[in-house]
Amino acid sequence: MSKSRCPRSFEAEASRDGRLGADERASFEAHAEKCADCTKAIRELDALGARLRSAPVPRADDLQARRERTRLLSDFNRGLVEPRKKSRAQLFALVPIAALVVGIAFALHRVGRGVAADASVSPEPGTEWSSKVDGEHTVIELDRGTLAIVVSHGPGARPVVVHLPDGELEDTGTTFEVSVENGHTSRVSVDEGAVVLRLNGRQPVALAAGGAWNAPPPSFVAAPASATSSTVAPESTTKSADAGAAPATSTSPAIARATGSTSADEFNDATLALDRGDACDAAGRFGRFLAAHPSDAHEEDAAYLHVIALQRCGDAAATKEAARDYLARFPHGFRRSELEPLAR
Amino acid sequence: MSARVDRIAKNAPAECDAAILERIANGEIGALGELYDRHRESVRRFVSQATSGAEDVDDLVHATFLEAAKSAGKYDGRESSRAWLVGIAVHLLRRRRRSLAQFFTVLSASSARSRSVDPRTALEARTDIERALARISEAKRIAILLAEVEGLTCEEIATALGVPIGTVWTRLHAARAELRAALAEEAR
Repeated sequence: MSKSRCPRSFEAEASRDGRLGADERASFEAHAEKCADCTKAIRELDALGARLRSAPVPRADDLQARRERTRLLSDFNRGLVEPRKKSRAQLFALVPIAALVVGIAFALHRVGRGVAADASVSPEPGTEWSSKVDGEHTVIELDRGTLAIVVSHGPGARPVVVHLPDGELEDTGTTFEVSVENGHTSRVSVDEGAVVLRLNGRQPVALAAGGAWNAPPPSFVAAPASATSSTVAPESTTKSADAGAAPATSTSPAIARATGSTSADEFNDATLALDRGDACDAAGRFGRFLAAHPSDAHEEDAAYLHVIALQRCGDAAATKEAARDYLARFPHGFRRSELEPLAR
Repeated sequence: MSARVDRIAKNAPAECDAAILERIANGEIGALGELYDRHRESVRRFVSQATSGAEDVDDLVHATFLEAAKSAGKYDGRESSRAWLVGIAVHLLRRRRRSLAQFFTVLSASSARSRSVDPRTALEARTDIERALARISEAKRIAILLAEVEGLTCEEIATALGVPIGTVWTRLHAARAELRAALAEEAR
């Protein structure tokens, strides 16, 4: 604080920190109204507080936030299933070591065959990519071009995530190929195992062996991820014979309008019911939606919200059954870690 | 759509933190997701500022919520758990400091820094308030951030830090003085 002539100016900070009793505080406030020094002291404290609150804080992007959320729920679930005592000091001793490993393990590949910790990567000429170890994942960053990736799943191998300009691709055990053109993912094909493709503004797509996903042609505008959207880009997916893939089929806008109430309307009505607290009504609506529209783009979200609605409605048996149904329909579903305990 | 689904799943109807923590204590994983969605930003903001943007912010946030989940049964029932969560984060920050100190005695400090950027360059890239915060001790930085950014009362800060309230007042006074001096120096 700048030098002050008023002997009471110290009370500005005392008042701010709750050191003054009610009477003392009232007395100081009355005094400060007539004292330039004390008014200035109050303003300087306010200004410092405002500057501290204005300090920028880097925000995690949505994908990173979701990954962190999933990691947290998985770890908590693991702790519930296999509770074990672990020295917290040991846990925290790993933090700086892990940070050092990240720094040492970082590598930039431009051409030729590469190894990304737990994956063998074959880039096509001109492909721009890199890899690093990020906590418990091996992360491959694909900026442009095509990579053919074979993921190792031996003991101790880390899960592999491919970061794309417009989303990410999570490996769940396998050999696959992914292409990026002009800053957008253009194609993913799976030879062995399965992957989950998550692109911004789109439903997650699970692809099993033999499956492929191709981006829609540029003339279509991708619909925002909203239940009320009636324009869905006709992405093409090839469903493999191996079950487990959740196809991202689209609802034809022309057919939907011709039948009046669309599946999007029904999904939206169900979510509104849940939103306003009418859980039992919402549970019924989601159940009817899932029965009537088994391959809708909102299927996974509806199946998840169905479980939530039943839980809030207080029907434990139905909640369990719905959770099991979700896990059966979406073995690689985004919400699986959250719903697995409900299915037991 | 996922953002909307997240919002719907966590928002209807709103529950106080005490009720959510009770559900977590009963093993309800979805409740932990709700608590995380509700307080992630403020915990992350605090941890990031308290560590001056260390690279393990996400790990610290993760550890905070995991610890909160394990301790949910001991929650004291306050409507908002923000001060409690921040207290857990402070506790973990102290352990982190001790672990880092032990780690850096084994390796030299320059090679142990995990940043790939010259620390001087990283510091220059920040705003003046960030540089000023980085210059005061972690104890004072935590106290002033809890008071001015997180809006905790001094009693809450004393509880979170496990120190007498007089210590909090002293740290706040010293932090303000040092920050003003640092900012004045930045302005020259």
